[in-house]
Amino acid sequence: MSSPLVISNLRKTFGGLVATNDVSFSVAQGESLALIGPNGAGKTTIFSQIMGELRQTAGTITLFGNEISKLSTPARIREGVSRTYQVPRPFGEMTVAENIRVGLMPDNIWHMITRSGNADRELELALSVGFSEDDLKRTPSELSMGDLRKLEMARTMATGPRVMLLDEVFAGLTVGEIAQIAALIQQMRKDGMTFLIVSHDLKALEPLVDRAIAIEQGTHIAEGPFAQVMADDAVRASYLGAA
Amino acid sequence: MNIRWYHFALWAAFMAVMFALPEFVSRGTLRTVIFANFLAIFAISWDVLSGRTGYISFGHPFLIGIGAYTTAILTKRFDVAIEASIPIAVIVTMIAGFIVFLPALRIKGSYFALVTLAFMELMYQLVQVIRPDLTGGTRGISGIQGITRGAVNGYYLSLTLLLVVAVTVWLVMRTRVGTALSAIGMNEESVRGSGLDTTKLKLFAFLFSALIAGLGGAFYAHYVGAIAPRALFDINFLFTIIVAALIGGAATTAGPIIGAFFLTFLLEYLRPYLPGAERYFIYGGVALLLYMYQPKGIIALLETMKDRIIRRSST
Ligand SMILES: Nc1ncnc2c1ncn2[C@@H]1O[C@H](COP(=O)(O)OP(=O)(O)OP(=O)(O)O)[C@@H](O)[C@H]1O
Ligand SMILES: [Mg+2]
Repeated sequence: MSSPLVISNLRKTFGGLVATNDVSFSVAQGESLALIGPNGAGKTTIFSQIMGELRQTAGTITLFGNEISKLSTPARIREGVSRTYQVPRPFGEMTVAENIRVGLMPDNIWHMITRSGNADRELELALSVGFSEDDLKRTPSELSMGDLRKLEMARTMATGPRVMLLDEVFAGLTVGEIAQIAALIQQMRKDGMTFLIVSHDLKALEPLVDRAIAIEQGTHIAEGPFAQVMADDAVRASYLGAA
Repeated sequence: MNIRWYHFALWAAFMAVMFALPEFVSRGTLRTVIFANFLAIFAISWDVLSGRTGYISFGHPFLIGIGAYTTAILTKRFDVAIEASIPIAVIVTMIAGFIVFLPALRIKGSYFALVTLAFMELMYQLVQVIRPDLTGGTRGISGIQGITRGAVNGYYLSLTLLLVVAVTVWLVMRTRVGTALSAIGMNEESVRGSGLDTTKLKLFAFLFSALIAGLGGAFYAHYVGAIAPRALFDINFLFTIIVAALIGGAATTAGPIIGAFFLTFLLEYLRPYLPGAERYFIYGGVALLLYMYQPKGIIALLETMKDRIIRRSST
């Protein structure tokens, strides 16, 4: 079986700034890979290119053997990849249930009109990220940062991904909420999900990943077991430099 | 949104009152209501696209005008039967809209509004210079064949049309496609990030909107019997449509209807005191005040009142 996600010589420039500098890596089936680097290293930019929200300057992205680098975002999601956003982007005037519903919708207008939604699946997803049944009727303005991240997870899961990209899922969460999301990720790993995870909370991240890759100023600087990458001189220097 | 008993009760009460109306009011008032019915159809049409997706159209008179002109030209100049000319007018409106608006749907924000406004202005100019033998040039077309005779029949026809349009829109918008269109208005990027092709959704909203605009425009032409570019492609007409949808309550079906009636009667009652265009200042002011007080429109005010009554009666 071909690798779930292969990034080859990915490059992205914004004017003179090289945000992604010929980065290559791949994620194996069922693997969970940490993508680490200081602020502005280019982690989110890589996610946006994988999803097609930003178009790469050069390089290719392959998902389960199919090149997706020229597809639209919805087409990539159909191929089985989905992401959460560092800054949660809920539909502000919709309930939690409706937010999840959008993620569950088929990309087919006729089916949207003629077939009814799956309320059971909405509830199931909401419960799986730690919402209660009563939360389904709440709107984003009533939610904490932790709840917004949970909603972001649920909407992303709703699209039915086989590869999930998580961008700063722990930022702004309480210790209890971090444990809850971590447990959810562990459960999904057991169920065979492939992950690429970005987090500044290295302590929370370590138990959730099989391997890590570090970037600095868009450039791949280290790769390997998490502890080894963290001990790497270049990585330590990059974090110290950023601090 | 769940359907509740009072939704049916409200629609039934509204229909009962509306169908009995000719028994109670003067012919003059009835003609005002007919105009309100048409304005409601136009406001619903605008809302299907702009109220839901947030892509503000300044070009709806363009769509309505194409529907009106097409059926007027076909019936008057080519002796086509109304039964055929109205469906053709609707299709022509959708095609014309598709051709000129499609590129615009890729543009975001205020540029979309500007592009649509430019099309309305362009249409205003073109109608006067291209084939004036067909369009009647600056004077427009008069003596357009009527479908009904008299205010009462005209009223029932416009009412039936409004009900068909409103119920259809209500049913469609209650499904997931309504949720998806509203989601575009809140955060289009997230809709794409949820796997939905927003261009396809916007195109659907646009064609649905154009269908209603063309239908309304065509029936309107046969009702008034005379159309002229100055009146159709008019900025006051455009703002009346938008303000009706906004102050009634955008992204709802009842809102634009309520707004259309409110505005029509407001303008009508101001007429004896302010016969000229100054009336539009007054309604602009009223609309602004209402909008500042409750941006979700009259329908949200009614909802609050309903909640209060229910709470009071339950304690
Ligand atoms: N649309 C854009 N236009 C111009 N520059 C951009 C754009 N998006 C990102 N950048 C720049 O690219 C670099 C990488 O940004 P990116 O957001 O990917 O970093 P990051 O690793 O996710 O940082 P953080 O940890 O703060 O989230 C930064 O210097 C940023 O300023
Ligand atoms: Mg980032």
